Amino acid sequence: MHGLGQILLQSRADVLEAWLERLRETVPGVQPASLQLLKLELGTLIEKLTGYFLTDDDDGAGPAFKSVEEQAATTSAACARDGLTPMETATLILSLKAIAGELLDRETSAKATDLYRMRTALDAVVDRLALVTFAAFVETREEIIKRQGRALLDLATPALPIWRHIILMPLVGIIDTQRARQVMEWLLEALSREEARIAILDVTGVPLIDSRVALHLTKTVEAARLLGSQVIVTGISPDAAQTLVKLDVDLSNMITRGSLRSGLAEAFRLLGQQSKGTTETMI
Amino acid sequence: MRPKADVVQPDVVAVTVTTEIDVAEVRQEARRLALRHGFGTVRAYGLATAVSELAMNLVLHTARGGQIRLTAQDAAETAVIELVAEDDGPGIPDIALAMEDGFSTRGGLGCGLPGTRRLVDTFAITSRVGEGTRIVCLVRRP
Repeated sequence: MHGLGQILLQSRADVLEAWLERLRETVPGVQPASLQLLKLELGTLIEKLTGYFLTDDDDGAGPAFKSVEEQAATTSAACARDGLTPMETATLILSLKAIAGELLDRETSAKATDLYRMRTALDAVVDRLALVTFAAFVETREEIIKRQGRALLDLATPALPIWRHIILMPLVGIIDTQRARQVMEWLLEALSREEARIAILDVTGVPLIDSRVALHLTKTVEAARLLGSQVIVTGISPDAAQTLVKLDVDLSNMITRGSLRSGLAEAFRLLGQQSKGTTETMI
Repeated sequence: MRPKADVVQPDVVAVTVTTEIDVAEVRQEARRLALRHGFGTVRAYGLATAVSELAMNLVLHTARGGQIRLTAQDAAETAVIELVAEDDGPGIPDIALAMEDGFSTRGGLGCGLPGTRRLVDTFAITSRVGEGTRIVCLVRRP
């Protein structure tokens, strides 16, 4: 498709302009900053496409097409980051067909059969690019979701030194196996880092405490005990308490208090007991 | 067209459970369902916990997960929620042992099944080794 490459080479600036016009139509609220960025991306994509058609690499498996595909994926990722929907992104890529179609219509020097072949070749390439774009779009979105998930996990488990020898860990949200493992890890780390004797684990923000969560809590308490620290679990709701009794979960090894306030009071009481007979001041 | 007052359509929640996220989702749905049908918060919490235990069993013990299905039916002065957990997993060789407190094959607390039985009003379990397990529970209001 050497001819198509030549045509694209001559009028790539027009194609880019027409493409950006389509972008503005498809996404009316597009930000000037993202428009600038997408202009660069689309410009590169046209360049790679031109390069591909000029190399006569028709089977679509060579390095020239590979680089077109890669650029399409990059463009799509940029679209995803700029908040375009998958539909908008696909529409944008597919609109290249119409733009190039108009371009070929104006081309009078070529034979009709050549024009027809150029058009089918272009359609086939753009269709494939649309698929590549879609896959890349989904991939980028999934990467974003994964990152957010990790960020959320980090946010959700702070260990706060609230008093000398006391750290507080408020648990908010669902405790699954991964979270539970992380809570234990971070709590133990904080205990040894802060040289804390008492950890208050507040579960007010945990929507449901079933036997699985109870198991993780007991394990955490046991592990803290090995470090010479005590764990006070606070914030078990009346609903949770009645349910845990029916489940017959054995939490007798655990110091529990209804509210964070009474948990803190218990922590002070325990500290007072521990420091009795020593010269060390408590506060 | 509004349905006639004496014909109450059952309220159904069905979730396929394969991962821990599904467990969190289905128990949340269960709690909402119970609250929607006038159950108290303790009962709703209990039902959600029962669902959580059964759903977690699906995640832990079956390769392909299973289905949790909740059907709520209102009647005059009362409401019933049926909870069905079904899978085509390995099955339970000794049901009596599995229903014993403190028995666990996965290092758990061993209170999942017996605890669930105490949380619901009616509990029935059928299981065939190599074919799967089906647990049906009923929770009644008030």
